[in-house]
Amino acid sequence: MAFTAARHRVTAAVAAAICVGSALAACSSGSGNGGTPAADASGALKVWARAANDSPKAFQAIYDAFTQKTGIKIEPFFTLTDFETKLTAAAAAHDLPDLVVDDAAQLGNFKTQGIIRAVDKGKLAGADQLAPGSWASASDLSGKTYAIPFSAQANLLFIRKDWLTRLGLSEPKTWDDVTAVAKAFTTQDPDGNGKADTYGLDVPGSTTRGYISWYWSTFFWQAGGEYFKDAGNGKFTATVNSPPGKQSLKWFEGMYCGSPKVVQPSSLNDTTTETNKAFQTGVTGMYFTGPYAYATMDGSAVKGKYEVIAPPPGPGGAKTLAEGTNIYLMQGQRPNAAQKLAEFMITQEAQNLGMTKVPSATIVRLPVNTSVDAASAHKSDDRWTLAQQVYKDQGHYEPVNMPNWTALRQASSDALNAVIAKCGDSDAALDQLNDKLNTLLKQQGVAAG
Amino acid sequence: MSNLTGSRQPRPPYGTGPPSRAAVPTRRAPYGRPPVPVGAASRHTQVSRYRRRRLQWLVPWMFVAPALILFLYFKILPLAQGVQMSFYDVRPYLGDRYVGGGNYVEATTQPLFTQAIWQTIILAVGTTAGSILLGFLLAILVEGQARHLWLVRTAAFLPVVTTMAVVAEVWQVMYYPDRSGALNTLLGWIGVGPEPFLQSPHQALASVVAVGIWRGAPYDMMIFLAGLATVDRNLYESAAVDGASRWSRFLHVTLPSLRPVITILFLLAALRGLRSFTEVFLLTNGGPGQSTQVIMVLIYKLGLEQGKLGVAAAGSMILFVATAAVTLAVHVWRRRAVVR
Repeated sequence: MAFTAARHRVTAAVAAAICVGSALAACSSGSGNGGTPAADASGALKVWARAANDSPKAFQAIYDAFTQKTGIKIEPFFTLTDFETKLTAAAAAHDLPDLVVDDAAQLGNFKTQGIIRAVDKGKLAGADQLAPGSWASASDLSGKTYAIPFSAQANLLFIRKDWLTRLGLSEPKTWDDVTAVAKAFTTQDPDGNGKADTYGLDVPGSTTRGYISWYWSTFFWQAGGEYFKDAGNGKFTATVNSPPGKQSLKWFEGMYCGSPKVVQPSSLNDTTTETNKAFQTGVTGMYFTGPYAYATMDGSAVKGKYEVIAPPPGPGGAKTLAEGTNIYLMQGQRPNAAQKLAEFMITQEAQNLGMTKVPSATIVRLPVNTSVDAASAHKSDDRWTLAQQVYKDQGHYEPVNMPNWTALRQASSDALNAVIAKCGDSDAALDQLNDKLNTLLKQQGVAAG
Repeated sequence: MSNLTGSRQPRPPYGTGPPSRAAVPTRRAPYGRPPVPVGAASRHTQVSRYRRRRLQWLVPWMFVAPALILFLYFKILPLAQGVQMSFYDVRPYLGDRYVGGGNYVEATTQPLFTQAIWQTIILAVGTTAGSILLGFLLAILVEGQARHLWLVRTAAFLPVVTTMAVVAEVWQVMYYPDRSGALNTLLGWIGVGPEPFLQSPHQALASVVAVGIWRGAPYDMMIFLAGLATVDRNLYESAAVDGASRWSRFLHVTLPSLRPVITILFLLAALRGLRSFTEVFLLTNGGPGQSTQVIMVLIYKLGLEQGKLGVAAAGSMILFVATAAVTLAVHVWRRRAVVR
């Protein structure tokens, strides 16, 4: 491992030397949209990352290490829920950052806006060290790469161990178990305070950033559903209203609208900021979320009271939402320095910093660099072994390669939020949504037929 | 008077007149004549008068110039740019494409757009009417000179000076939709609820209106208080002498005297209502199920979430025309009322 790191440092140094020496655009990855400046403009490298709480500290640790190595200064910016809206505003003002760290799901959105550069993997130092699978959510339908993977993860089920014990329940193994536990958590006063103020399931049900459909996707896939069917030639049809889709939405809606209502009552306006708080403050007992929440939860009163398990399989098998975090090289005046930072961020050193430097923030969840191992980096915490295992066995990505997945996800979210708010006919809602998705596919130029 | 007539006299050129006289003009000696030969003086003053007349128009403009420049840069230019954007498919990094009225068609044919317009109107009317009524009621309650009233007035005014972000956060907590929520606890005491408030498509808009009223009423109260202070006390007395009841006095003296105040409040509140953004954005973000979607939030989402800046600009232009129309309508109505 040390040898790999040393070899990589040499490679990086040589690559950097060639870049600086040749002063040609060769080192940058021109996307073909607009020219790529031959040399970088002066000034600090502007880097935006979607992060909150202690995560900025972890990013800063990586930036500091980079600045120390290269002398390139970094002007960081961090925000969470309104990240993409701020970025769109920056684009409208022609004042983009040079590099952005954000969800892989934004790939199509950014590409449609023309604000990211294509990545030439052949000219990216260290590209060969990344897990081949990690590149899947960094490319478009044609296989062209538009981002560099930085971290990956899959959702797990966080569940209140103390509540289970108090009520004499065991960990859920099936959907029926999940329903039963959710009902028990809602009606049987699991915290023993004599008040009916607890709920079974924690759901960010807001349409903001498409949260509700993002969350529901796990159940959708567990039932055996898929958003789109590949019709060949890069064309697709929406299949969200397939029988498994309908089954999963009916089940999900039942959580909100059945008797008892087992989802936290503020859900339909909640984003993950609120749902994290609901789990931390003992309002909810089950929460599907990523391993980054270990740190978030351990920093609160719920530490030690919950356990993390693999999401119980649904009628269509064991699936869970997998996601990547990507590094995007933005259109801007400092392409070479931006790429150098990206190259550094996928090194063993930076990936390790991102995993363990700040214990309360794991900005690298599961590393993309094959020479790094999450389980061994977090030796004292075997939950990371589980995170790795679940990612490998059950992880299912959103169709982020579509020309603009966020637009499709937003439409899905609006539909789900609307039907659940009314406790309306979920089958009819999915039929409507399917038509809407097909219309959007047509607008994005990938509709079959 | 002497000052006015004096200033119309030909002024001596600076520095030539006796300073003491110029500084303290009196009735008998309005402005001293310059101690120079008459012919030379008149030619000199003619020239300076000419020069001054030529530049005089500039003086008021010079005074308003700083404000005008700021206004031009921060209001007029962005507005012009907005108009231009509304005719383009705006793609900052791919090059804009002219689409003519396409954006307007896309903005207005969205099924959500019509819904948002209605919801905006409901929000505007509800907030405006509620704030004016409650504001008036508060104003009548706390009108007076006593010291404790001053304290009450200040306390009542607090919602206006509090940042909307804080207000929204506090109300979100108060509206918490189960028994443990603050408002639901109160409702529980009288055997009602728990109500879902912001979580229900049937109650969300009303709940947002309530926050708007809570925030807007004290502002209206202050303006009503100022208005009430200007009502001529003699009118009350004569009315009372003529045997008018308390209610008739209110109806025939107070209300007509407050007409200009009500008009301006109505106008301000209506415009505020049409442009509501922050409260909706923070309380519900248009949800649940689009039940609180208003024009401004829709424009924000179109522009910054979906990246359709041109369509968002077109939506803004429509909103701009609507607010301008409301303003004009109120002005016309007021003119007519004055003529009557």
